[in-house]
Amino acid sequence: MSRRLRLLGVSAIVAGVAGAAIPATAAAVPVITMSGSTSVAPLASLLAKGYLKQYPGRVKFKLAQGGSDVGVADVAAGRVSIGNSSRDPKGSDPGGLVFNKIAKDAICIVTNPNNKLPNLSQAQIQAIFSGQVRNWSDIPGATATGSINLVVRTAASGTQDAFQKIFMGSKSVFSGASAKASNGLVQQTVQTDPSAIGYVSQDFVKGTNAVSYQGVGCTLQTAKSGEYGGVRNFWMVTRGHPRAASPLQKFIHWVQTSSKAQKIVQTHWVPLK
Amino acid sequence: MLDRLREPWSDQRAERTLGALACVVLVLIVLMIVFVAIRAWPSFHHNGLSWFTGKGDIDEQIGRQVNTGARPSAADYTLGAWPLIWGTILTTGLAVLVGLAFAVLAAIFIVEFAPAQLRRIVVPVVRLLAAVPSVIYGLIGILVLVPFVNDHLVSEGRKQSVQYVINLSGTGLLVSVVILTVMITPIMIAIIVDALYAVPRGWKEGAVALGVNRWRAMWTVSVRAARPAIIAGAVLACARALGEAIMLSMVSGSKGFAPNPADGLTFIFEPLRPLASTIVEDAESLNAPAVQASVYSFALLLLFSAFVLSIGAWLAKQPMKKYGIRV
Amino acid sequence: MAVTPSAEPLRPLRPPRKRRVNESLRTWRWGDRIAYLLCWASGLTLCLIAAAIVVYMAVKGLQFLSFDMIFSRPQPSADQKGSGGFLDPLLGTVLLTVIGIAIATPIAVGTAVWIVEYGRPGWLARAVESGIEIVAGTPDIVIAIFGLALFQQSIFGPLSFTAEGGAVFGRSFLTAGAMMSLIALPMVFGSTREGLQSIPAHVREASYGLGKTKIATIRRVLLPSVKPNISTGAALGMGRIAGDTAIVVVLLGATLRIDPEGGVPGVSTLRGTGGTLTSFVYNNSPAGEGNAPQKAYAAAFVLLLIVIALNFAVDVIAKRGAQTGLESTRLGA
Repeated sequence: MSRRLRLLGVSAIVAGVAGAAIPATAAAVPVITMSGSTSVAPLASLLAKGYLKQYPGRVKFKLAQGGSDVGVADVAAGRVSIGNSSRDPKGSDPGGLVFNKIAKDAICIVTNPNNKLPNLSQAQIQAIFSGQVRNWSDIPGATATGSINLVVRTAASGTQDAFQKIFMGSKSVFSGASAKASNGLVQQTVQTDPSAIGYVSQDFVKGTNAVSYQGVGCTLQTAKSGEYGGVRNFWMVTRGHPRAASPLQKFIHWVQTSSKAQKIVQTHWVPLK
Repeated sequence: MLDRLREPWSDQRAERTLGALACVVLVLIVLMIVFVAIRAWPSFHHNGLSWFTGKGDIDEQIGRQVNTGARPSAADYTLGAWPLIWGTILTTGLAVLVGLAFAVLAAIFIVEFAPAQLRRIVVPVVRLLAAVPSVIYGLIGILVLVPFVNDHLVSEGRKQSVQYVINLSGTGLLVSVVILTVMITPIMIAIIVDALYAVPRGWKEGAVALGVNRWRAMWTVSVRAARPAIIAGAVLACARALGEAIMLSMVSGSKGFAPNPADGLTFIFEPLRPLASTIVEDAESLNAPAVQASVYSFALLLLFSAFVLSIGAWLAKQPMKKYGIRV
Repeated sequence: MAVTPSAEPLRPLRPPRKRRVNESLRTWRWGDRIAYLLCWASGLTLCLIAAAIVVYMAVKGLQFLSFDMIFSRPQPSADQKGSGGFLDPLLGTVLLTVIGIAIATPIAVGTAVWIVEYGRPGWLARAVESGIEIVAGTPDIVIAIFGLALFQQSIFGPLSFTAEGGAVFGRSFLTAGAMMSLIALPMVFGSTREGLQSIPAHVREASYGLGKTKIATIRRVLLPSVKPNISTGAALGMGRIAGDTAIVVVLLGATLRIDPEGGVPGVSTLRGTGGTLTSFVYNNSPAGEGNAPQKAYAAAFVLLLIVIALNFAVDVIAKRGAQTGLESTRLGA
């Protein structure tokens, strides 16, 4: 190798090592890191963008994902400042965590668009999803025929947790039901199979027939007004209450109270007010 | 100092440097195995040998472990992993068997029978198939194959016959094996083709000179000589099939159900869930100790099967040594 | 005895004309004929399957793909219209593939050379081979969680971002690239090992006979000759890296944009988090929670094109390398 090339290579390596070793003195802007639920992530990224539009340059955001439990564990260990969670606090969560409610989300029962099932009561839902009723002919109002294709979520899902608590109560879901790992897969299955029924987050009802629950339709308006019964919470989890006037506390306060934040939430989710 | 590095190295120094490199790789791998084993120990300690049997509904057991979260009791560690093990054996075994036959035939086609223009197309096609991401295979599975199987192959009567036990929809063994075969065959083809090209031409020419036709010459001479490479390719493909998680979690049905061969043809439509897909689906609850122990125990079993595969391949290659083929 | 010269001058002998011998299938046995047909069938089926996959992804992807999507950065947005393109994930894919393969290839080739050429003591060589095959059989999610646990130790702080509490975030391009190299390692290793083993012994012996040391033989004779094998392995490895989702989601943070960390350009990108096309496709497809399937198909199609381009590049490099190799020793091909 020519002498010039060698010199160039050595100086590049030295510059790189020196650059990595020098602490980032330019980072005067505080960083808010978030990780956690994939359902909350779209909302969290929109809120971050809105906050930066209103107060540019105040903070920097880093948003990772991984699931509600990963978010809770990361925040408890101090790896991130905020953990996004789509499930309610459990008794088995690590101590010292504060769950800040930021939005609500409705869970809808959906069927195939060709199966115009208008309404289901809680007893009917429990009968279908626990496996007692297995044929569409036993459900009044259903236009599908044949065996019911029951689509539920896998065990580790926050949506499944909420569905169990809100709709099923103490009855357990049929162990032979088809399990899907995400809202989108349930939506896609229900869209393509005429005899399918499942439950999804309100954001995912496009292309399906959303069934009314106890006479109330599953829309953003009914969820906001409180008429629709199947609503679950989105949380931003912090380690203890954030210090007053810290950038973190200002952000969470903005999310929970400012009108701009509520407008952002209202696009696809249910705001707190 | 740089001049000293540019002098020709002695053999001993080269051997020691390369050996050190190989040892670093080995140390990293052993570190990973030890890490997985330590975290998997509580599950094996609690269940003992019954870990391998099918006691109870495994989906229910994992669900309970997820729900008890950070403070599980001793009874929460109970796990009977047989449905998952059987699912893994079925998908991997069937995919490798079908894929191996397919790969040998396709490799012979590429090396021997394909006209030159077609060969120039088929070789990049094989590389392309090997490089398609598993997410795309999964997407095509759930968008095309699963609805097709659900609407046209699984009849209503079949669904009714098992409807109180299991919900039959398109996802299941058939779609999983089909897509997995398409995924792993290109790996085998690439390695077998390289090996068939490396067979000395004189050997095959000798066979043809004796009047044997082209297929038979290929089969009895070249393929026989390439047996170590076929085994190496099969092992690599089998390892890939064992580790495939995301595509299978989309199309295999995600249920801890052990398909029963005694059900006849319904058997291939029944949903299942291999070990790797279970790990992916439960990875987000990994901070709960009981779930962590279960997930890492699945991982340890997969590592162990890869180890058994490797030993098996080595044993299978030993008898070929006497023919002078370098194994 | 005199040789009587022939009456006419000797004509220069022409080489015999090459005639295509079309061996008629009629002379073959039935079993052989069926096998011949099956071979053709498998070859054509492969082409059909590949064409079907590409055409299907093209049809679904091109419906939504527009040229500026490739060059605009993704924006967080509630619906698909305003959410920009996927430039950052695209750069992330290329960057991660390059890092992964750059780390994997020298290590894999070095290990393969050691095992085939030296390999002493014997048990160590078998252990290394088994170790690499175990890695080949590990699901990528296990490698990802192992990598996360490893890189969250404080000695690896410089590789990623450290939070105020002192806890190491552990997710960055460097950490993800290191684990990706582990994924590609078995492919490159296997191909290189097969290539080295197929070189006949007389090639090595000729080199030793001329007085070259073992390491010189490896460097000047054997390695150039197995360049096609290394490139096959690298192509397989790059395909595996470009298609991997679990390691990206766990070890790269799967953020929407590339977030550099620290002040030095170049190094800060490596230390920062980002996303790749696979995590973008996964998140937006039905399998994730992004609820933007058309975007996912468009990105999937672009991913396919990138993979085809990477394969093509590796082919070109291999062909250029093979011209300087020792093809005369390859009695096959």
